[in-house]
Amino acid sequence: MKTNWLKLVLAVLAAITTVTFAQTSMAQTGPKEKIAVVISTLNNPWFVVLGDAAKGRAMELGYDATIFDSQNDTAKEAANFENIIASGYKAILFNPTDANGSVANVLKAKAAGIPVFCIDREINSTNAATAQMLSDSYAGCVKLGQYFVKTVGKEGEYAELLGIVGDNNTWNRSKGFHSVVDRYPGLKMVAQQSGEFDRAKGLEVMESILQAHPNIKAVFCGNDAMAMGAYQALVSAGKDKQVQVFGFDGADDVVKMIAEGKIAATGMQFPKTMARKSAEFADEYIKGKRDFPQKVPVAVELVTKENVSKYGDYGKK
Amino acid sequence: MRAVRWIIALAVIAGICWLFPLFHVVPLKAAKAEKAAAEFNAEQFAETFWTNQLLPSLDKTVNADVLLATIQSDPAEAKKKFSRSLGFSSTYFYFVSGTGRVVSISDDEISLAITSGSTNAEVTLLCGLIFGDAVRDGTGLLNASTYPNSQDFNDISAALNHLVETRVLPGLREQAKVGSQISFAGCAEVDDEAMDLKPLKVIPIQTKTP
Repeated sequence: MKTNWLKLVLAVLAAITTVTFAQTSMAQTGPKEKIAVVISTLNNPWFVVLGDAAKGRAMELGYDATIFDSQNDTAKEAANFENIIASGYKAILFNPTDANGSVANVLKAKAAGIPVFCIDREINSTNAATAQMLSDSYAGCVKLGQYFVKTVGKEGEYAELLGIVGDNNTWNRSKGFHSVVDRYPGLKMVAQQSGEFDRAKGLEVMESILQAHPNIKAVFCGNDAMAMGAYQALVSAGKDKQVQVFGFDGADDVVKMIAEGKIAATGMQFPKTMARKSAEFADEYIKGKRDFPQKVPVAVELVTKENVSKYGDYGKK
Repeated sequence: MRAVRWIIALAVIAGICWLFPLFHVVPLKAAKAEKAAAEFNAEQFAETFWTNQLLPSLDKTVNADVLLATIQSDPAEAKKKFSRSLGFSSTYFYFVSGTGRVVSISDDEISLAITSGSTNAEVTLLCGLIFGDAVRDGTGLLNASTYPNSQDFNDISAALNHLVETRVLPGLREQAKVGSQISFAGCAEVDDEAMDLKPLKVIPIQTKTP
């Protein structure tokens, strides 16, 4: 009888000890802190790589990370921010939809004490985001413009497919390209239309440009998705050998097409580098660092048939 | 009585509208002028920057003799000691000055031998169309973080390049004769070390015949 009582007391003590240890352990490690990754659109493989790389690095650093898709819609982006602010996230890695329209969302997060780190796309403010990691699109397109003149020549008609008109990258790319090409009066831009950074739209716009301007020698596209759409339109029209296509992004498919001689050149933007560094900035912020440079330019490298073997998997091999 | 009420109501509405107007009528010319004043003027900025900051900073350049000797012996040390770069980039810039003897002239380049006794082109002064960000970024005087819209910052590059083309290059082309001495100060962008270091390609900001 005494032994049974002793066993019972020992069992109860063991149970209490187990529960106490479990609770202490939970309290020490706690649930993981959360980082949100807000991406302008996941309808473009380049942005999927950007989002996945940011999420992956945040998880490597010990955070729970979730990707939110803004579907290129500022209203959807605002709803994502409301959700993130209400859900206790510690930082936001942010690829904005609109340089002006997205500022209010960043300010809301800032007011709620959540730091925002912009990736790839800029917002037109220097006191909203904690830091902005941005591709140097202008310098990249100066290099593309110089290569364009070298390969297309100093005379002939060409077309341009612009990106989303509200995005600074669209104009930085276009202006960088034109800062070179416009210096050669023999090169005539016969069409300039927005393909909204979208492959299907790029295809559609290119088809209509080809109908109106069948003699163009080249097309400069503000991103690789539109370059692939434009190339598809050229193949359908039987003009893929006549018209040289220039893209921008460094998308894996386009790098392969450069190696195959289908596309002339692109600008490699290093999305994985930008995304990983932004996640590291967020981690440093959470651990107490506060002095970040507002704008961190990330160089863009020219990828052509001459050096394409050095590039792949959204970066340098 | 009813008429008086209507008059009072209209007077109250008119008063509110006067205090808090629903819209403003602004002459089109004035609106355009206001918009233009609010916009960043890169040409104007570049003009002021050129005179007040860029030219006075030329004493901060690295001497070409020293730079070329260090590049020759240890390019990595030269980069570490004398270059600057922006953000994450393998491209870097030198802010350099020196004196050399003209060894060749083409439409786009004037090549100089710098070290005494050399007949090789060690520095090339670019004198054709000027592109890129070397003049804006090579000095370290301007910082992208202070510009809310990067388009403004990029417009500065184009405006500075235009000043080089219109203020520096015509005089340089006139001064340059094979065998003549030229002093220069300018910025070099090194994108591809194999191509850009030997000779060092410099965008001139100031040139003189000693």
